[in-house]
Amino acid sequence: MRWQLYKKDPRFVFLSLIFLAVLLPWLPLGASTNYVLRIMTTAVLYMILALGLNIVPGFTGLLDLGYVGFYGIGAYTSGLLSIHYDLSLWVILPLAALNGALWGTILGAPTLRLTGDYFAIVTFGFSELVVLVLRNELWLTRGPMGLPGISPPSIFGHPLASDWEFFYLILLLLMIVLLVVTRLQNSRLGRAWFAIREDEIAAQCCGVNLIRYKVTAFAISASIGAMGGAFYAKWFKFIHPDMFKFWESILILCLIVFGGMGSIAGTMLGALILIPLSEVLRAVLPQGLFNARYLIYGLVLVLMMRWRPEGLVPFKRAQAKKAKLAQERLEI
Amino acid sequence: MRKLGCFLFAWILLTGATWADSIKIPIAAPFTGPLASFGEGMKNGALLKGEEINAAGGINGKNVDIVLEDELCDPKEAATVATKLANDPKVSVVVGHLCSSSTLAALPIYRGAKLPAISPASTNVSIGKMSPYYFRNVYRDDFQGLFLAKYVKIVKGYKKVAIFYEVNDYSMGLMLAFMKEAKKLGIKVLGTEAYTADTTDFKPQLTKFKMMKPDAIFIPGYAPQGTLIISQARSLGMKNVAFFGADGLDDDLMVKNPDTEGLFVTTPFLPDKAGPQAAGFVKAYRKKFGKDPNWFAANTYDAVGIGAQAIKAVGRNREKIRDYLASINSKDRAYDGVAGKTYFDKNGDCLKEAYVKKIKNGKWVSAEKQLQ
Amino acid sequence: MENLLDQSSLFLQQLVNGITLGGVYALIAVGYTMVYGVIQLINFAHGEIYMLGAFLAYTMVTVLGIPFFAAFILTILVCACFGIILDFVAYRPLRNAPRLAALITAIGMSIFLQNLAMMIWGSQIKSYPRDMFPAIFLKPALSIGEVSMTWIQVFILSITVVCMIILHLIIHKTKIGTAMRAISQDKTTSALMGIGVNRVISFTFAIGSAMGGMAGVLVGLYYNAIFPTMGYIAGIKAFAAAVLGGIGSVPGAMLGGGVLGIAEVMGAGYISSEYRDGISYAVMIAVILFKPSGLIGRQIGEKV
Repeated sequence: MRWQLYKKDPRFVFLSLIFLAVLLPWLPLGASTNYVLRIMTTAVLYMILALGLNIVPGFTGLLDLGYVGFYGIGAYTSGLLSIHYDLSLWVILPLAALNGALWGTILGAPTLRLTGDYFAIVTFGFSELVVLVLRNELWLTRGPMGLPGISPPSIFGHPLASDWEFFYLILLLLMIVLLVVTRLQNSRLGRAWFAIREDEIAAQCCGVNLIRYKVTAFAISASIGAMGGAFYAKWFKFIHPDMFKFWESILILCLIVFGGMGSIAGTMLGALILIPLSEVLRAVLPQGLFNARYLIYGLVLVLMMRWRPEGLVPFKRAQAKKAKLAQERLEI
Repeated sequence: MRKLGCFLFAWILLTGATWADSIKIPIAAPFTGPLASFGEGMKNGALLKGEEINAAGGINGKNVDIVLEDELCDPKEAATVATKLANDPKVSVVVGHLCSSSTLAALPIYRGAKLPAISPASTNVSIGKMSPYYFRNVYRDDFQGLFLAKYVKIVKGYKKVAIFYEVNDYSMGLMLAFMKEAKKLGIKVLGTEAYTADTTDFKPQLTKFKMMKPDAIFIPGYAPQGTLIISQARSLGMKNVAFFGADGLDDDLMVKNPDTEGLFVTTPFLPDKAGPQAAGFVKAYRKKFGKDPNWFAANTYDAVGIGAQAIKAVGRNREKIRDYLASINSKDRAYDGVAGKTYFDKNGDCLKEAYVKKIKNGKWVSAEKQLQ
Repeated sequence: MENLLDQSSLFLQQLVNGITLGGVYALIAVGYTMVYGVIQLINFAHGEIYMLGAFLAYTMVTVLGIPFFAAFILTILVCACFGIILDFVAYRPLRNAPRLAALITAIGMSIFLQNLAMMIWGSQIKSYPRDMFPAIFLKPALSIGEVSMTWIQVFILSITVVCMIILHLIIHKTKIGTAMRAISQDKTTSALMGIGVNRVISFTFAIGSAMGGMAGVLVGLYYNAIFPTMGYIAGIKAFAAAVLGGIGSVPGAMLGGGVLGIAEVMGAGYISSEYRDGISYAVMIAVILFKPSGLIGRQIGEKV
């Protein structure tokens, strides 16, 4: 019965979750507080990343397999700016976002006219190239030596040190990203995106300039990924090319597939469930099995596509239409 | 509701601690994954030491619990593991990590939690300087590279060398140190080529080397690639080129391959040079694990010993342990272990000797001439 | 390295290395291209079948004690079956689903299989035991001065060529081959013409997977190193080769494989060894952006 209340007004759910989140550092968890906080910070970071990725397949029906490239670009932008110029986080975040958007546009402009499979492969190739550059251009990134010694962000001169401070910071970032994404969803831009996702040709006929909207989507997605990366660098205080492997893209993809592509709540839920789950698995499973947790992620992708492609929290607007179209869809 | 129950259960698992009161000494290393064979050495060395401590009554009466934390040589995993350890009140000192990138990722977390850590295997140059909480009982890459250059020149007399390195911090650090010293000593470095961890086809670069006609090829990398490189080189007809490397090639994998006859490597641990204590260790290790210990095992054995000694002396307070470790700063205060005498300088680094071993008749033997 | 003889020897040797590598890529690429031809899906898990081929042969020889050539044949058969199962389990249910779903499924299968292999065999690099295959393989078959080509390189190249010929014959001279070509042009009409579409698709998967598995064993022999993530890397490169040659075209796959293999080796040898993998990615991106029909293919999905 309680669920009815939750279902009726999603804002209620949202607010109670926020309330819980804010309370989190103060809950009596004893010595594990920091560990739990760290896990939740990771989960929220992945929520942000997932929200960013969600824009592309969720809103335009294309699959971006190279998301980790933007994540890495953002992280290295942040790390390098921090080390060389000692800029504040509040300057770095927008700069990283811009850099992400720039690369998103550079990658997106020539590629967004491709069909789904080719687009996926090209984005994948791009992210691999990004990682290769990060690895090999020592003069820029120190390559495999990594970038240690990144200073933590500071607020009014006080450098962030404890885990709960970072947790609140990432919550704040989440709020910002959510604001951006929900506004977009309900804006003219968002409606154009859904039109593209549902039926490109029809959308074109309605006057939607495909390329412009697709590139914008891609750039925004990239900039969110870059912002996540910027936070990541300042939080970990060390970044290394090995932290940006293809697996990350898969993980984030898994989060949105599991939660519901296109659905903001679903995406967040996906992250909230799967990320702490992997930590739980670490405690519960024998070691060998745990390291194959990507096995489970892969399985999740396959099973979800087979039995519940809309994800946990389906995106309602698309759902009814999709069912109808699926029956009539021909390969064009 | 059931979901909530599951979450709660998981929560309890995470926040709950072990039940018995023992002294946990965690070993953070890759126990699965491509570098698992190195991690295995660490694991065995630690387990052996832990057993011996407990057999002798434990530390001040309490048993030592060697806990294995697998971080896959991945910086993200290392950070997660480090957080877990930092927040565990039963942990007062950590032995780990192995890969330098993991150590660098975990370092800020240990520093923030004021948790001292001893690395038996991270040879990257920057670690010691970056944290007053990190110590290591293995030498650094710049020392190893330098040593190799000297050895190559003085003992082997090679004049022309080519370097085949992996694109990672360990390999490149070694290469740079070697090249710097080689320049001073007049060894000509004919060329350098790179490979990545998942390369299996080394022929293009080896062909290039073949045309350069070096006296020897330096492989500052890891055994899995090292063994392939040498085999492929031989199959390309490079019969008269010598190969040498550093501790990364010190692995049984190299011995199994008949092409590697004559390979020599530097290592922090040579059983016959390390004194009577080492003999006992080698024997016990052989008895328990059925094979000879490698340097990872020896160093971890010592690292656990150092940690245990610290706890015995000052108790489980992290800050006190850190200070105790820092006080091991001269030869007379050094910890006399199976891998030689360990003492730390002001950065937490240690000066250790490097030895050379080579493969002869399919076995590792100490090289005839050592360099001190 | 100064004189011209050395330079040309170097070049020729690199060429030999490159062509052999190219042959391997071609064998894998064929699988991609044929499957794409019939169902317009990039079978991401194809690289994993290649990897499984390598590991299956390894297991058969070391654990089960089966002699090499028998293991080789068996592996090919098992991989073919595996391809059929993969299609049946993962792709067939999604035959009429949106492209995105099928793509995600393919990726999911790929990840799943890679990690399954890691769990079963461990992630360390394994080598085929020395005595497993005739020692003659390592001996040079012919040497001209400094340039040599080992018997195993000859073996790989000859198998590749033979396979391509057989494949060509199947596609153009048999009924099922004609069916494959028909389906790649128009699935619905083919079904209307009485072609058992699903059956033919299964057959396509079988052949593609058989060749992929074969490539896996050959690579294991050639480099003497197999590891669970080898499929992911080789898969992408083979896909690049397929696209380069013209996706959907079997001769294209062979040509693309050869060109990519040579480009990669030359790039690694002459330009930069760090960016070796990047060469494949760059080629792939360039081809997709500027000439998506590839070197030979006319239109995407037309010719098989």
